[in-house]
Amino acid sequence: MAVQIIMDHSGDSRHEFNPEDAAALFKAEQRFNELMRGGYTGAVRSPTGDPTVIRRFDPAAEETLFFPRLVGG
Amino acid sequence: MLRQLLRRGGDVARRVLAAWDGYWEFGFRSESEKRGLALLKQWLSPQQLAQYNAHRCFDVTGCHSGKRYRIRHGVGMNVYELDALGRPLVGRCFVPKDNLVAGDVMLAQKIALETNERGALLVARTFPPRWRADQTIA
Repeated sequence: MAVQIIMDHSGDSRHEFNPEDAAALFKAEQRFNELMRGGYTGAVRSPTGDPTVIRRFDPAAEETLFFPRLVGG
Repeated sequence: MLRQLLRRGGDVARRVLAAWDGYWEFGFRSESEKRGLALLKQWLSPQQLAQYNAHRCFDVTGCHSGKRYRIRHGVGMNVYELDALGRPLVGRCFVPKDNLVAGDVMLAQKIALETNERGALLVARTFPPRWRADQTIA
C-alpha cells in the first residue's frame, strides 16, 4: 500500500491506496494534482532518507508528504 | 469476584502504563500534536532525531548555500541561521500558510531548507535572535 500524507490542523490526514489498482492510482494522481494547484508542496524520501520535492505525481512513491505553501511569519 | 477485581485492576494498570508511555514519548500534548511530532520524527535523519530528543531542536543544511540552520521546537520565529561557531546569526521566520501543529511546522521548515533554501528565504522575514549563548549547542 502507498500513502499520501497531508498536513492539517489535526496533525495529518492519510490516504492509503493500492498502486496496483488503476482506479485507486488515478484517484491518487487527481488528489496530487489538486493539492499542487492548491499551492501544496509534495515531498518524498530518497532511499537514504533525504527529502526530495516532487512536482509530478510519482506512481512508484510509497509515501508522499504534502505541506501548505510557506509564508513569512 | 476476586478474579474480576484482579482483571479490572490489570486493565487499569495497562491503561496507566500506556498513558505513561505516551507522556514519556511526547509529554502532555494533544493527539494532533502527538501526530505531528511522530511524523516529524519519522522524517528526521538519525543525527537530527538524536539532537531533537536531547535538545528539542535540530540542525539542517541549506541545499543552496550550505549554511547551517537550527530549527527549534515551535510554530513560528523558531529558525536561526548559525555562524561557523554554531551561534545564532539571524532569525528566519517562515511557516506553512495553514494553522499547523509544531511537528508539522518544523518538518515543513526542514524540507524547505533542505530542498529549496532560496525559496524559503525569499518569503522569510528576518528577526534578531533572542537566544542566550548558553543555549548554543556545538
